[in-house]
Amino acid sequence: MTILDSLYQNLDTAFAFKQGWEAWIALIAASLGTYFCRAVGVKLSGQVNQESEFFRWLSAVTYAMVAALTIRLIFLPIGLLSTVPLYLRVLVCLLALGVMISNPSRRLVPALLTGTLLMVTIGAML
Amino acid sequence: MSISHPSPDPSSDNLERVSPRFRDRQDAFWSGVRDGRGAPAMVLFAGMVGFGAMGRTNGFDLWFTTATSFLMFALPGQIVMLEMILVGASSVTIALATSLTATRFVTMTATLFPMLHERDRNKQLYAKVHLLAMTAWAVSLKEFQTIEPKHRLSYFVGLGILCWLISVPGTIVGFLIAGSVPMPITLGLIFINPLFFLLTFTEIKVTGYRLAIFLGSIAGPIFYLIDRDTSLLTAGLIGGTLAYWIDRQWIRRYDQKRSA
Repeated sequence: MTILDSLYQNLDTAFAFKQGWEAWIALIAASLGTYFCRAVGVKLSGQVNQESEFFRWLSAVTYAMVAALTIRLIFLPIGLLSTVPLYLRVLVCLLALGVMISNPSRRLVPALLTGTLLMVTIGAML
Repeated sequence: MSISHPSPDPSSDNLERVSPRFRDRQDAFWSGVRDGRGAPAMVLFAGMVGFGAMGRTNGFDLWFTTATSFLMFALPGQIVMLEMILVGASSVTIALATSLTATRFVTMTATLFPMLHERDRNKQLYAKVHLLAMTAWAVSLKEFQTIEPKHRLSYFVGLGILCWLISVPGTIVGFLIAGSVPMPITLGLIFINPLFFLLTFTEIKVTGYRLAIFLGSIAGPIFYLIDRDTSLLTAGLIGGTLAYWIDRQWIRRYDQKRSA
């Protein structure tokens, strides 16, 4: 099957509605929660001390949660990424991290490209 | 997030403090839009493409995936939500977890908006704040130093609107090409966001937050095995609180003693 064929086939199904209402409710709740945080920021702007203990705790919780998410996406992925062996996923991450820390202030784009292209290469060899 | 943005003109660094950088608000707005073509916004676009691909490969529909980028406009929260829907978490848990990942906006807004002109700090900011995300915040914080206060809001809105609007086509493009292109490319796309989060962790310099990242990384898989639905929430709360406590009890005291 050529790429064009698969594109047509994909477009056939791409516009279907298939999300249940539970997911939409979750999205609305999540969007309201996210907007609420932005609005609280406006309300507090100029009055809040970033160094306060409460904000230190809140930042720590946020970092821990995003870290938990990242580790799970890499180590215990659901779907396509789980077809790549664990050691290869870890290896790609380590190589990208190596590029990044060689110059943290300027290497985000090269590091991101390194990791993504390596993953594409691995996918091609699987 | 690192910003590799060329300064407007290195030779006129002193001049800018004397002469205004923009003619008027419109000029400032379009300059913000133009700065959206820089590396930070490209990374955001790639992240949104990755998110779209993630939605497609996990069986979400195009409308839902795109609406998520449009309404939430916060990648970590968006991915937390997709993951939690996949494991069957309840709406309440999802709302709690995504709101917690969004608390960074409280501090980001509270630090950026005091830099605006007094006249611009009115109720309209409650609408404009939706444009604030990591990219626009980091670029604005840096650029505001060389922009007159009265032109700062226009610059921020120009940059923020571009970032927000490219996230929609980004998501759609990612969704449509995933599954149309050969599998290895889809694989690369869905790997962009986890890798991006991982890379930005190297930019955290505060010891307490580094510890939070470390403990969150350990707590994440453990709580996932105990209870998938709430694992992100519990891993964040327990790992983060433990890191905060250790930082407060020992690390900061040790630093104080050493500096004394």
